[in-house]
Amino acid sequence: MNLLKEIGLLTLRCIRASLRNPIFLFMGVITPVIYLAFFTPLLSALAANGSLGVDNVLTLFIPGMLPIIAFSTGIFTGFGMIDDVRSGVLERFRVSPAKRFSILSGPVLFDVCSVFFQSLLFIIIALPFGFRANPLGLLILFVLLALLTIVTSSFGNAMAVILKSEDRYGPVVHGINLPVLLLSGTLLPMTLAPSWLKIIAHFNPVYYVVEASRSLAFGNITSINVLFAFLALIPFVIFTMCWATNVFKKVVT
Amino acid sequence: MALKVALKKLTKNKMVYIIIAAMKTEYAVILSNVHKTFSGRKEPVLALQGVDLEVPKGEVFGFLGPNGAGKTTALRILTTLLPFERGEAYVAGIDVKRNPQDVRRCIGYVSQKGGADSYATGWENLVLQGRLYGLNQQNAITQAESLVNTFFLKECIHRLVSTYSGGQRRRLDIALAMMHQPKILFLDEPTNGLDPQSRDNLWSKILELKQAGITIFLTSHYLDEVDALSDFLAIMDHGKIVATGTPSILKKQISGDIITIGVPKSFHDHAISLFADKKDFLREISSEGGELRLHVDMGASALPQILRLLDNANIQFETIQMSVPSLNDVFLKKTGRFLREGATQ
Repeated sequence: MNLLKEIGLLTLRCIRASLRNPIFLFMGVITPVIYLAFFTPLLSALAANGSLGVDNVLTLFIPGMLPIIAFSTGIFTGFGMIDDVRSGVLERFRVSPAKRFSILSGPVLFDVCSVFFQSLLFIIIALPFGFRANPLGLLILFVLLALLTIVTSSFGNAMAVILKSEDRYGPVVHGINLPVLLLSGTLLPMTLAPSWLKIIAHFNPVYYVVEASRSLAFGNITSINVLFAFLALIPFVIFTMCWATNVFKKVVT
Repeated sequence: MALKVALKKLTKNKMVYIIIAAMKTEYAVILSNVHKTFSGRKEPVLALQGVDLEVPKGEVFGFLGPNGAGKTTALRILTTLLPFERGEAYVAGIDVKRNPQDVRRCIGYVSQKGGADSYATGWENLVLQGRLYGLNQQNAITQAESLVNTFFLKECIHRLVSTYSGGQRRRLDIALAMMHQPKILFLDEPTNGLDPQSRDNLWSKILELKQAGITIFLTSHYLDEVDALSDFLAIMDHGKIVATGTPSILKKQISGDIITIGVPKSFHDHAISLFADKKDFLREISSEGGELRLHVDMGASALPQILRLLDNANIQFETIQMSVPSLNDVFLKKTGRFLREGATQ
């Protein structure tokens, strides 16, 4: 059976389940909106004294938040997979001739769809606050967001299959989520950071996506930041997908 | 002569391989000297220690053993879910190690957990399952409709699986495993946690599937279930097969029938001396509390003789009871303990 058909069927399964409880799709946007409402006023104070180098903080903050939506949607996806492990759904799929790559890719592709939906919704919510972005830049940004989601969702799903319980999975992903968020430059730009922190941030792939995201929203499509983001993500995409497929092949559930 | 020399040249392992090659089309399932070790926290756990097993086609095979005996491990190996170190495993004549993808196409598997997606309807579960096995949408729908009728799922099929009763859920689980019309169906503890009525219902469904020519490989720790359903069974304990045979042959290995007589303790010595030379029908006699337990070859012919002896000796008894050995007695004899006590780890 055709690989794409398999992936399509398994993605459709996740879409159906999520449309039964659409409230959770909207929940994903609540955290970024809270940041928008309660955090950007703090940034505005900094912007007023010139520390940030921009007039409208939203052109800094909104594009920075989009990679975080992608990152956390992917990394917290494993809670759903733990459910599939526990109910035996994963085992049933693994006894079928469906390719292990498809079994992984179904939920991953769903997360990409979900990130697109949440990002669009967040941008629409930000428009009345005065946020404006370059449309072509946003289009390229969405490709970056898809790649980032593939990395974190593959990782999250594979970790869920390995750890098999919320009690163990929760601390692991929360432990990863916070430093990645702080070192991404989303909340405050890394230009404010001391040099040692800047150096650490350069090891965080999300940092490059945040930088590229800002360039793209400004309309600097040919910015070197965009190239860096693709270069940082593509090896991660290949590595995590191979590793996660292998986990789905071998793991004992 | 040349053949003899040629055979001599073959190593023992190669011989085993040739014999397996000849057998593998005859049997639905073959395990040959299969070993599986899990890396435990302190020391490795030897889950399977050289398991040999042949299951004939078209029969219901019962796999019996306490929890932790290795039944599920063996099942996982056969259903391609678990790699194993040593030995050979064939399902429907296909090498599980080399060709897992082909094995998957011809088996159905219902795990202990079931495997239906609670957040979808039964119907969506069935159609997706069919599509994953390569049926097109139309064929998947046709097959799902026929299984909905077979497994009496009509009233609930368009509801979310999370609303199903235990019995409905189990029937859906089995229907899912039947979507691609497998030749061999693996059921891991299929009636665990079901009420008696749902259990009887499921038993008759399993026998219907057998009538349709499907080999059924069933694990259970319910003795009556294996006794009622299986044509052939194996008892597993501590990662080894300790007995195989039909339920009746295994039970016959235990002393014919058991006669229990309620007699006051004071008469026991006298009674035992009465039976001392009756080797023609009696195998063994033991005194336990207020009861004498007599293991006899044939209960029906032994009983009148026993009654006559007791009557002639003027020994008054309160109760007398004859029972056939159960699989529990078989289990007790083979493993040294009752199934219910579970495996000592």
